[in-house]
Amino acid sequence: MMGGQPQFVLAAVLGVLFALGTYLVLRRDVVRVVWGITIISQSANVYLVTMGGLSGFAPITGHGGSAESVTDPLVQALVLTAIVIGFGTTALALVLTYRVYEEHGTIDMYELGGHGE
Amino acid sequence: MSGRELDNRPYDYEGDRRTTVISRTVTRIVVPLILLTAVSLLLQGHNLPGGGFIGAVLTAAAFVLIYVIFGLEYVQTDVLRMSPDGDGHSPVGAYRWLFGGGLALAVLSGLTPILFGYEFLTQGVWFFKHVPLYEEFEVASAFFFDLGVYATVVGALLTVAAEVGTE
Amino acid sequence: MQPTPEVVLAVVFLPFVAAALTPAVFRVLGERTAYFAAATALVCFGLVTQLSLAGAHGTVSYEWIPSLGVSLAFYVDGLALLIAFLASGVGVLILTYSGGYMHGEPGQAKYYATLLAFLGSMLGVALASDLISLFVFWELTSLSSFLLIGHYTSESASKYAARKSMLITVSGGLFMLVGFLLLVWASGQALPESTYSLVVLLENADAIREALTASGLLVPALVLVGLGAATKSAQVPFHIWLPNAMEAPTPVSAFLHSATMVKAGVYLVGRLRPLFLSEEAPLLGEWTLLFAILGLATMTVAAILAVSSTDIKELLAYSTASHLGLIVASFGFANEYGAEAGAFHILNHASFKAALFLVAGIVAHEAGTRQISKLSGLRKHLPVTAAIATVASLSMAGIPPFNGFYSKELLFEAAWYAGKEIGGLGYLFPVVAVFGSVFTFLYSVKFASLFFGEENDNLGHVHSPPATMLVPPAILGLLVLGISASATLGLGPETPINAFVGHVYGSVSPGDPHGFSVHFPTELSPYAAMSAVTILVGAALFPFYDRLHDGINALLRGPVRANWWYDGAVEGLSATSVRTIPSVQNGLLRTYATWALASVTVLALGGYAAAGVSLPAFEGFAITLPIFLVLLVAVVGAVAVDIAPSHVAGVLTLSILGFMVAIFYILADAPDLALTQLVVETLVLVIFLLVLNRLPAFYGEVNRSRAARDAVLALAVGATVFVTVLVTTAASPAEPIAGFLAENAGVPAEHPPFFTNAGGGGNIVNVILVDFRAFDTMGEISVVAMTALAILTLIRMRERGETQ
Repeated sequence: MMGGQPQFVLAAVLGVLFALGTYLVLRRDVVRVVWGITIISQSANVYLVTMGGLSGFAPITGHGGSAESVTDPLVQALVLTAIVIGFGTTALALVLTYRVYEEHGTIDMYELGGHGE
Repeated sequence: MSGRELDNRPYDYEGDRRTTVISRTVTRIVVPLILLTAVSLLLQGHNLPGGGFIGAVLTAAAFVLIYVIFGLEYVQTDVLRMSPDGDGHSPVGAYRWLFGGGLALAVLSGLTPILFGYEFLTQGVWFFKHVPLYEEFEVASAFFFDLGVYATVVGALLTVAAEVGTE
Repeated sequence: MQPTPEVVLAVVFLPFVAAALTPAVFRVLGERTAYFAAATALVCFGLVTQLSLAGAHGTVSYEWIPSLGVSLAFYVDGLALLIAFLASGVGVLILTYSGGYMHGEPGQAKYYATLLAFLGSMLGVALASDLISLFVFWELTSLSSFLLIGHYTSESASKYAARKSMLITVSGGLFMLVGFLLLVWASGQALPESTYSLVVLLENADAIREALTASGLLVPALVLVGLGAATKSAQVPFHIWLPNAMEAPTPVSAFLHSATMVKAGVYLVGRLRPLFLSEEAPLLGEWTLLFAILGLATMTVAAILAVSSTDIKELLAYSTASHLGLIVASFGFANEYGAEAGAFHILNHASFKAALFLVAGIVAHEAGTRQISKLSGLRKHLPVTAAIATVASLSMAGIPPFNGFYSKELLFEAAWYAGKEIGGLGYLFPVVAVFGSVFTFLYSVKFASLFFGEENDNLGHVHSPPATMLVPPAILGLLVLGISASATLGLGPETPINAFVGHVYGSVSPGDPHGFSVHFPTELSPYAAMSAVTILVGAALFPFYDRLHDGINALLRGPVRANWWYDGAVEGLSATSVRTIPSVQNGLLRTYATWALASVTVLALGGYAAAGVSLPAFEGFAITLPIFLVLLVAVVGAVAVDIAPSHVAGVLTLSILGFMVAIFYILADAPDLALTQLVVETLVLVIFLLVLNRLPAFYGEVNRSRAARDAVLALAVGATVFVTVLVTTAASPAEPIAGFLAENAGVPAEHPPFFTNAGGGGNIVNVILVDFRAFDTMGEISVVAMTALAILTLIRMRERGETQ
């Protein structure tokens, strides 16, 4: 049920997703930074679920039923809350972006950091 | 409605000028269904897929659908029977109470077991036999906690949506 | 007799309660808060006396962190009572004296509150028997010392001194903590269960020592604990903070930096002495090598520095370090005389040194200067003070028949026997002891001489001190005389002072100690001769005091001074920070992100390499075709986000990624996640579109070289993630908690109508959220609520804050 087999495809996919997210985080457009954070958090969720194993059954049991060979429910619980909190974070980041624009009239990281070109 | 349109035109809160009859009719039918699904997900969450978080995001989605199709003012004046924003009775006020109350409910449901000598957040399960229709009926104290989760998340998400929407 | 738990608790926590009340009391009483504080100390003193008279001996323990075996435990014995007596007794006198000294000074509420908190911490250090409790109280004393040294917050000298003492004593405390943890580890090896209790450690000293020796950790443990003691007790080369600490108001110097706090290090050495030093310990074991040499070096170096001082408080500060070195050296010798000398000198030093500090305070207050060169002939104006100073100085010099003579005599005895039995180079011990003592004699007599001779013309009008400032040193002076009389008369071990020192002696000696008593030497023993040599050489050199003073000062240049190293290190560090900050924290998000991500990458990959982690072999794709396709589309979506030409295009392609993740959850048998992800993704899309509508279409020109650099970093992060995922998915944890959760989430086959020990739900994920890990969930919904509040605040309150 748990681990044991290296997940080459997922490793490659997550590597690419993290790289793409990182690249966005380093951009000067604040909105792109928010996207980058969103991609990274989505990928982290996928990673957690992968750690629970992909070969079991859904973690739902009947009363008194057996709980054999279900996928790891703990990571799913973690990720469930992470998704909702991720939404909150994204929304907060967006509102912050909006307020930054209102206050400073720009969403260019360089201008905001006092390094305008 | 495409993203391009939204991007290029200033947002118009009167709303109904930009939505079609089809979308409005579908929304009228779909929203009650979504809400029903949300509540049933909340109720069955202990034994089947569902729970406070899922029920809450679905409920919020239903409200956001109304916002998008009918506009905020419609929700305020016609659905919630409130006067327009500005006198403190805005829906956000109600949502604030919702997430505050939800958090309080979750904490209270955690504190209650202490009165009975259990540790903080101990959850119990009762089984009632010979209930009509059900024969055996299960009540989990965790439901109250889940209800708190539900209320908190609904309140918070709707606050966010309404605040961003009214801007 | 077992100590009464309530009394012990009251002794430690009463000062803290009083400290908390001080600001309120100050509003009512004003400057008379000094008497409130003194009364608190008096109550503590009374309680300690009660414990002592009742012959209390034993532990009082309360649970603190039961899962780690940490408790709030106190141990009452001779040594603990001695330090508690000093802290509370000197505390009464100091707080009374402060009433006069601090008259009209600013920040008095803070001053008294901190002094009281210090008193509680010091009593905690003395009585704590749990290593963690001891450490906490220990660092609390450092903290209150920091606040008191920096009392005059606007003066740069105060700030420098406060920071110096904090850096040295607190970092020393951290070393000590590591040493404690080594002891705890050793106790786990030697005993059925590891323990934090000092009492248990001391009871099983032999087993602990064997476990430490067997693992080669005896010397590390000794050195680490020794560092804690040496920094606190200002041993060479950590003595440098003590003279600077004299920036504090004089009562603080007398209390913290002579009589009590600096005794904490000495206390620790005494407390652990029976643990590291068995009855049949070798004469020149690790313990003696470390502490006897450290102590004698400090005693000599600090005494020489005292002679080089130009300020009376500086002189006293170096002298304090020197005497603490004497005590450490005494404890360092593996014979009974050493234990006796240390035990007796703690008491003697506190009595004469606190008196001298209070005298120095009077002089500074009434004569208006602390410069040695400007002070002389004070006897005419300050007759009582002069008498006190003379008695205390002669005691400090080790001149018979004063009490300082007797404890120094015991040190000579210890050093002599150690030297004799070791032979050869061992004779350096008595020689160095005498050499250091000559300088002690010199500066002590110099201090006394300030009151005699011709009056200095530059001295203005000298006032008489108020009674509140005169009575406390007088009491201490009488104490010196009392102890001196008891020793000179050769009273038996059952008389009060000797019995008390005997208990202390018992605490610091392994095995069963005998009673304590001292006698005036009646025959010419080698150590009596050592005393005689000290006094004769000292007297012969005294006429050349000024030349010695100038000579030492001429030698103290550059790297010879420990301060040169300290200042260099601190300045170097701040200069490095000043140089680094502009390139690490320049206000640009990408700089912060680059540093953080690059460090994580280097650390993670370096960690794998260091741990010898190897990549698993390829064993097939391990996933089904649908998952593969979904992931492929997700990657395509993410690539599209990166190259999106406009905000809207990016948001829509971002949604592709989100929905693919939802489908991945379905395929990964996570129905709850899939449902949530689907709905949340929709909400995210709506929020994005709503906000983007109001933002400018800023796309940002891509600078090619910058983009290339970012791509390298992104690739490095991707590679780290790739390796991490491979390594972690290939590993198989021994006992995943999933099994427990899956078994206990459902309803047991046989169950009563009501139960709390199982989840009772079929949806294991939900049961985890609302039952097993409900506390976590509560935290998470709080985060959600806070997000909403933050957004509300950002939008609703924008008019209220400062705007640009």
